[in-house]
Amino acid sequence: MPSWPTETKYISHPTLRVDAVPKVTGRARYSSDIQADGWLYGMILRSKWPAAKILSVNLDKARQVPGIKAAVVARDGEFTVRYYGEEIAAVAGTTRQACLDALRAIEVKAEPRNEFAVNENEARKDDAPQVWEGRSNVAAGPPREHGNVDQAFGECAAVIEGFYTTPVQIHNPMETHGNTVSWTDDGVTAWASTQGISSVRDGLAGALQLDQSKIRVITDFMGGGFGSKFGAGVEGMLAAQLSREAKAPVRLMLTRFDQALAVGNRPSSFQKIKMGAKADGTLHAFEAENYGTAGIGAGADSGGGGGGADLTMPYLYRVPNSRVKQSHVAVNAGSARAFRAPGNPPASFGMESAMDDLAVKLGMDPLAFRLKNDSNEIRQREYAIGAEKIGWKEKYQKPGSSPGVVKTGIGCAGAAWPAGGPSRSTQGEAQINPDGSVEFRLGVQDIGTGTKTVIAVVAAEMLGLKPEQITVKVGDTNFPPGPGSGGSTTCASVSPTVYDICQRGLQQLLKQTGVADARGKNWFAACKKLGVNPLVVHGNWIEGLSNRPAYGVQFAEVAVDTETGLVAVKKIVAVHDCGLIIDTLTLESQINGGVIMGMGYALYEERVMDDLSGVVLNPNFETYKLPGIADVPEIEIVLLNMPERGVIGIGEPATVPTAAAIGNAVANAIGVRVGSLPITPAKVLAALGKVPHVATT
Amino acid sequence: MKAFEYTTALSTDSARELVADKGVYLAGGNDLLGLLKDYLIPGPNILVNVKSLPGLNRIERGANSWTLGALVTIAQLEGDTDLSKVFPGLHDAASEIASPQIRNVATVGGNLAQHSRCWYYRQRDVPCLKKGGDLCYAREGDSRYHSLFSGNDCISPVVSSLGTTFAALDATAVVLRDGKETRLSMAELYQKAWTEPTAHHSLNPGDLILRVEIPTARTASAYLQVSDKHTFDWALVSCAAAADVSGGKLNQSRVALGSISPVPHQVEAANAFLDGKALDDDIASQAADLILKEARPLEHNAYKVPMAHALIRRTLLKLKS
Repeated sequence: MPSWPTETKYISHPTLRVDAVPKVTGRARYSSDIQADGWLYGMILRSKWPAAKILSVNLDKARQVPGIKAAVVARDGEFTVRYYGEEIAAVAGTTRQACLDALRAIEVKAEPRNEFAVNENEARKDDAPQVWEGRSNVAAGPPREHGNVDQAFGECAAVIEGFYTTPVQIHNPMETHGNTVSWTDDGVTAWASTQGISSVRDGLAGALQLDQSKIRVITDFMGGGFGSKFGAGVEGMLAAQLSREAKAPVRLMLTRFDQALAVGNRPSSFQKIKMGAKADGTLHAFEAENYGTAGIGAGADSGGGGGGADLTMPYLYRVPNSRVKQSHVAVNAGSARAFRAPGNPPASFGMESAMDDLAVKLGMDPLAFRLKNDSNEIRQREYAIGAEKIGWKEKYQKPGSSPGVVKTGIGCAGAAWPAGGPSRSTQGEAQINPDGSVEFRLGVQDIGTGTKTVIAVVAAEMLGLKPEQITVKVGDTNFPPGPGSGGSTTCASVSPTVYDICQRGLQQLLKQTGVADARGKNWFAACKKLGVNPLVVHGNWIEGLSNRPAYGVQFAEVAVDTETGLVAVKKIVAVHDCGLIIDTLTLESQINGGVIMGMGYALYEERVMDDLSGVVLNPNFETYKLPGIADVPEIEIVLLNMPERGVIGIGEPATVPTAAAIGNAVANAIGVRVGSLPITPAKVLAALGKVPHVATT
Repeated sequence: MKAFEYTTALSTDSARELVADKGVYLAGGNDLLGLLKDYLIPGPNILVNVKSLPGLNRIERGANSWTLGALVTIAQLEGDTDLSKVFPGLHDAASEIASPQIRNVATVGGNLAQHSRCWYYRQRDVPCLKKGGDLCYAREGDSRYHSLFSGNDCISPVVSSLGTTFAALDATAVVLRDGKETRLSMAELYQKAWTEPTAHHSLNPGDLILRVEIPTARTASAYLQVSDKHTFDWALVSCAAAADVSGGKLNQSRVALGSISPVPHQVEAANAFLDGKALDDDIASQAADLILKEARPLEHNAYKVPMAHALIRRTLLKLKS
């Protein structure tokens, strides 16, 4: 059985990103920077109706706009659009303005449907307009039940009932979705902003009816995806068609406006939870009814993890008597896609809120209540560490008892990401040159988390070199295939693969050069003995070096202005484990990012749909609010290094518990629960009973 | 955006001539470019760059009044240490506007003349009342950022925090109109937005704001706002107050609120009530009651009533310090 070295120079130490300098100097070229010879801008015409039958699309006038080289329809013949922003046609031209003018010149004949439903609570009514003709908007799975729930509630010392809701969250990676696609007689090259070059290649091959061998996907650098960028997307297919027609590469990057409509989101949740515990604090009875929307459907691009609205309930806890009912509600809005820890942040918010509410009713400390009911040994340790760091003993107070107008409070919540773990089919190769330089090539992509650095760190450790002596190439389907970057799987996939490549490389070096241990100080002498030809070795993911799942807990401290309702997060303590740590620096960055994203979910982010017009009201960063520097608190990270567990990913668990911890801290501060994310000043004032009642029209 | 001509004016008279009846003035451009990109305004056939107009980028300090040229940037206001002593409320208002990058180019004139930020107005495919449509979608829909007061069916609020602060300071905008200088109080500058759904202010096409004059009679001023976020976010409610404070008592008191009405919201009865009073929680609270008495909250914006009440009290109490 292989094992990781116990004494390490780079593994579990901080290493600066290998591409830090090109990234901060702007030399790194993202998909949106690609300027292939003769490239054109591409742009999409989207539906301005939330529901309509498209009778015809006439591109003649668009083609006549000066500078326009191609125009295509999204679908042939008559078709139906089911949300505001669905693709209708696309154009390619020499300037952005030419494309904008051409979009306005396209003539669309449509029969708008006046009846549609863009919000879950409207769409789930019996008489709601149907998003899919002839099908109910509500799809309910069978209830899941064990034990005797009704009897068990009678045996509880305390029972709470709560309604916890989470909004639709939009992915909004800093780099928008898009591709530059060049379609020539030789095949298709796509520079894609993707977290899955292989899935983009296969998707394009299927849609364009080309051999997979005729398609090459390149992703040198990419600016985030969070689960929404596994496929080429409609925008990728349209770029390819435009390129074929124009006989030129087409760069079709979406705008921030497009981003809010059509390329994914996290489903909402509306969780009615009833939960009871015995007098000693043991959870005994649980009942939940949850519904949420994934837009018009979960969508083909949801990738690993799925974009459905179901939640794992009762999440981290085992309750002997439990009944769970869940349903999905279709609405006339863009489809959900996998979003960083699909299902987990909403489940965490609902369940961890209910845990605190029940602890308060029982008269128990919420932390003690968790320790009593959470059987996971790693989280138990993490809670103890986090409690010490945040000062739980000194700071936890009876809810609402903080004096003054600005009240402080603390809260905590636990995380899990059971779906992580490696992709076992990961492959890679290294080319060891006679001059001692070495290049690793893996058909994985660096979504921005530091995958290239992870490869360099592991290779340096195994070969006795420095990370900067390792050249890392990823993001090219010409390399041996790697996994999609999603589900916290990448690090656990590539680390054992690089280990295997290195072991095979050293064995082969021994065979060809006779150098018994080619590592470290012997490296260059050994390589020189290779003679003229470089050595290329192939490796695979191997068993025994990686693992799943990761856990983690977070604590939040907040200050709430009870007159204005404004919440300020003062501090987050994030205690996380991910087995053997590869690079502490990129790991901490992952956790910082997860916490900040969780903060956005807690306090700011929410897609707002308008019932009357059917549009997204906040398709920009002005009103789709994200945390800024001034909003971000001190984040204290504590890492548990567990080499004995092997490598585990951290992307998902880092963002799971943040919103729940902040929500619990707010409830602890003001003494009432704000059960609806985001926790805005308006909702805080309402929870405090300060908002005058206004009759609804 | 649609095609337009572009030119630079070197005098106010030529600027007016060049803009004719279908052009617009370009200063910082923060609002204008957004309007053009989203096709929210008809035309224009020409953009007249006014950034080179002489003398309009200066802050002039007088004994009885200060004059801010219309091209003075928000960053200039924020960075002027004398101004922060004479008009601390104005300094605080300036420092809350947008981001440092925007404050570097945004101007006093542009801030006053900006259009509504209503998310229905700004949505390119919603034919709302403010764009000349038949319906105020906010009244039927999500009005969380909208007005508690309005004299017409449109409930999109004024968001110029300078306009609100100038109102409290009783400042006057000097506008080039029909070839001569016209003086408008802040109430007059926005009055048309109170009555006409499609109006953002009272300026006519071709009117050019030249400068703002602020009397120094009020020795104390303050400004506060609350937003969803801590910076770079529009105010949910903003409040400015100014008064001559002597012997602990207020005189010439003025309070104005932003983001709750199409105009800077001022209630004369509250101003009169405050005059001659020594400030304490109770007096401030009574003033807030008067200011918000006629509020007509909707389901989604009713939270602005307690929020505004708290802000009025806090802003007034800041006048003491």
